[in-house]
Amino acid sequence: MENTSTDIKQLNEKIHQASAFVDLLNMELGKVIVGQKYMVERLLIGLLAQGHVLLEGVPGLAKTLSIKSLSSAINAKFSRIQFTPDLLPADVVGTMIYNQQKNEFVVRRGPIFANFILADEINRAPAKVQSALLEAMQERQITIGDSTFKLEEPFLVLATQNPIEQEGTYTLPEAQVDRFMLKVVIGYPTKEEERHIIRQNLNPEGQEKINPVVDPQDILNARKLVREVYMDEKIERYILDIVFATRNPEEYKLNKLKPLLAYGGSPRASINLAWAAKAYAFTKRRGYVIPEDVRNICFDVMRHRVGLTYEAEAENVTSENILSEILNAVEVP
Amino acid sequence: MSNQRIRFFFMVMAAFLGLSLQVSAQQFSVHATADTNHIRLGEPVKLQVEVKIPASLKGQYQLSMAVLPDSFEHFEVVERAKLDTLAPTADFSGIFRQTTTLTSFDSGQWNIPPIKYELIKPDQTVDSAFTEPLVIDVNTVAVDTSKAFKPIKSIRGVAWNFMDYIWYFVMGGVAVLLIGFVIWWFFLRKKKAPVVVAPPAPKETPYQVAMRELHTLETDQPWHQDVKAYYTTLTDVLRNYFEQQFKIAALEQTSAELLQNIKPVTILNQQRDKLQAILTVADLAKFAKLQPSPEDHAECLQKAIAIVEWTKPKPVAETAGEKAAPTKSAL
Repeated sequence: MENTSTDIKQLNEKIHQASAFVDLLNMELGKVIVGQKYMVERLLIGLLAQGHVLLEGVPGLAKTLSIKSLSSAINAKFSRIQFTPDLLPADVVGTMIYNQQKNEFVVRRGPIFANFILADEINRAPAKVQSALLEAMQERQITIGDSTFKLEEPFLVLATQNPIEQEGTYTLPEAQVDRFMLKVVIGYPTKEEERHIIRQNLNPEGQEKINPVVDPQDILNARKLVREVYMDEKIERYILDIVFATRNPEEYKLNKLKPLLAYGGSPRASINLAWAAKAYAFTKRRGYVIPEDVRNICFDVMRHRVGLTYEAEAENVTSENILSEILNAVEVP
Repeated sequence: MSNQRIRFFFMVMAAFLGLSLQVSAQQFSVHATADTNHIRLGEPVKLQVEVKIPASLKGQYQLSMAVLPDSFEHFEVVERAKLDTLAPTADFSGIFRQTTTLTSFDSGQWNIPPIKYELIKPDQTVDSAFTEPLVIDVNTVAVDTSKAFKPIKSIRGVAWNFMDYIWYFVMGGVAVLLIGFVIWWFFLRKKKAPVVVAPPAPKETPYQVAMRELHTLETDQPWHQDVKAYYTTLTDVLRNYFEQQFKIAALEQTSAELLQNIKPVTILNQQRDKLQAILTVADLAKFAKLQPSPEDHAECLQKAIAIVEWTKPKPVAETAGEKAAPTKSAL
């Protein structure tokens, strides 16, 4: 028992040291991004837990700036794809081009060959294009012609969805939305934050430049450490209780939720919740997961994995309401 | 003419007459009679028609009965009685009798015309017979104009009938029974001796439950066996106590949330540091495999007891006494 305690202590110290870049990264990003700490934190969790992030928010909330700045701070390659109805899979992943001089086909890599991808308004492209991107996200490799290319790590896709103007969009199917580790809903900045944004943008000296403060290798090392973060079986049980409550609410004295839930979280939800909780603990510079970590990340991991019935929609019940009910009913270890 | 011839003539006549009578007795015949020939306006007259079927046609005939219209020849049909079948005789296989009640509202001498009846024989030949015409005198009421007019007679009372009031009697009877039952139930019935229920054992207050469980931990010292289980029990005791005593949903809250949510409860918030220390050590023991020292175990337990003691609800009498004290000193 004493040995285990020492192990955790050592791990805690190791993680405490290794996660020092998180503060550095936050400071650097804070130079250009005012507010939106929540979004930046989630991006980092996605990056550390090898997940992808689906972002929902109205235009102009610094989504592009955030991921671009993160990319610059990590000294990684950034690429932005604006999804439109006429976009083709080849426009995303790349295609074979005939080289007349060499009399052969050569591969022309698409914009997905980068570390950070901003898939802007993903629901504006047809299912075929969405599928191509989501497959790349899952497999982390691309096949063009006969050649298969492994995508460079770290690889993070930040896809955005506009909650308004739903006409002419191709809603992502549940199975594809499930592939995003986090679905983050962002809102407007506060009045004070927006005042800073105005000042920053109207600054005659121009916006501050982001300097690379972290190496991609540091991120890859951090990912390994995230795997090592200790998760007690009590926390595992807590995660399972939350996910199972979305499937069988009546077993958690939540009978009222039964008619509102069409389907609950999949095993991928449990895996991602555990991963994200570990990554969150890492960002908090801890070597172990506590219930707060699970609760903190729960909404972003689960909100797109809970299916609502027509009855729930008619009553304006959101997945957040349901998750809130579940978290208030499931006993914390 | 000699006597022998006269005797022969009479014998032949008698034989012929007897034969003709026998033949007429066995013929299809219809006979109508009225019970009176004189009626006053609106009075009934019963017309009875009797039909006789000869014995030779036993069961092998069809009889077409005449049906009088509702009104005819100054007469109106009041009632049609059912066809009456009489027992057959030696001469007739069927005797049918039908009575029809007629009346008339026209004064005068009116004829009931002959009514035709038809008998269809087995060989499909039809034998017809008619009733005799009847004359009925219909008279008006004779009024003696020499006498004075009399007022209209008052309404004649109907004799009292028990069945007309049967429901009143039934309801009255039920009411009497009900009143009797009520009197018996409330005044005459022997009342059972009240059952003495032992007062329920006083339920343990949240404070008592918490203290009992904390003292059990103090006695048993379970940290020697399983530190994680000890801290789980310790925090559960405190969380349960907060839930019961202060209605804070502590069991469903994380340590940070709990520390945040005790802020509005002043008496509990005063022990915030102690609670935070316990929760921090407990979280590390539960989730980070931390092995606190034996002194830490005892210290956490003492802190938990101190929190429960501090937040112990004061008895009502004591509170009242405390309030009364300054008044006395003021006096």
